[in-house]
Amino acid sequence: MPMYYFHLYDDETIVDSDGTDLIDVGAAREHAAGVARELTANSTGFLDQNWSEWTMKVHDGSGLELFSLALSNFGNGNSGK
Amino acid sequence: MGQFRRSILASAAAQGHRDNRLLAALPPDTLALLGGDLKQVSLRQGAILLEPGDPVEDIYFPQTGLISLLVLGRDGGAIETATVGREGAVGLHGGLGGRRSFTRATTQIGGRFSTIRAKHFEHIANGSTPVRDLILRYTEVLLAAAQQITACNAMHGARPRLCRWLLQCADCTGRDELPLIQEFLAQMLGVRRTTVSLLAQGLRVRGLITYRRGRIVLLDRKGLEACACECYDIMRHEKLGPALGVHF
Repeated sequence: MPMYYFHLYDDETIVDSDGTDLIDVGAAREHAAGVARELTANSTGFLDQNWSEWTMKVHDGSGLELFSLALSNFGNGNSGK
Repeated sequence: MGQFRRSILASAAAQGHRDNRLLAALPPDTLALLGGDLKQVSLRQGAILLEPGDPVEDIYFPQTGLISLLVLGRDGGAIETATVGREGAVGLHGGLGGRRSFTRATTQIGGRFSTIRAKHFEHIANGSTPVRDLILRYTEVLLAAAQQITACNAMHGARPRLCRWLLQCADCTGRDELPLIQEFLAQMLGVRRTTVSLLAQGLRVRGLITYRRGRIVLLDRKGLEACACECYDIMRHEKLGPALGVHF
């Protein structure tokens, strides 16, 4: 299965160095949304920055960026949809 | 073998178990009673000691390792509801008679454990007030800890829970270098492994931990305590019992 990498960006970069193998990009989108919900649940921010400052960018194994999502769309019961 | 020599050997065996604080809290003559039946074992990480519904046949007193109690979901997921290190025991209620496990008990960190057959422990407990008291007191503390973790899982974010968990592991094992893999951490916290990976990286860039595949080293305990939820302070071994009026 292909590997996908879920990195976080604001002024800093938090690298997902291990990646996760998932069946396709659709599964990667679901996984990204799930991780975003887990990160933002009961939390206002990360590394002294509000979640509104953070973006998750998902890359494939060759480093190509496939999609991104804003963490501000999650938390407080938001599903990101 | 003379009775005196047997007594010395039994005492020496009992001494080897004192790394566990529950056993160390027993009067010396009571611990000596257990000494002949207590065995020392080494358990590897990931060993499953009990599944839900299993009869409690052995009691485990961690000395250097750590046991997690997990509630299992029908979807195959699991989340930790209690952590048992050298301050406690798993299966202790087996000393009150035939009991079954409610949770899965798994070795989160491998190490040395004292163990005794539940039937032998029950036999000793039937004739020993200190042992029965120990069972009841520890059960109270374990219940309070499980209640706190339940609330923590519902109320607190993944990052403060991760910090709380790392600190508890370090306290329970007496070491700041923890052989932990992300998959286990994810299971303990009830989140995806990717979430743990990102949170661990965040702690690393702030100098609170170093993290290499399979091993976490706590670098800044004060920093981690500042990031942890209040549950860490509430559940400290030296605080939780006294807060309940329970002393060991």
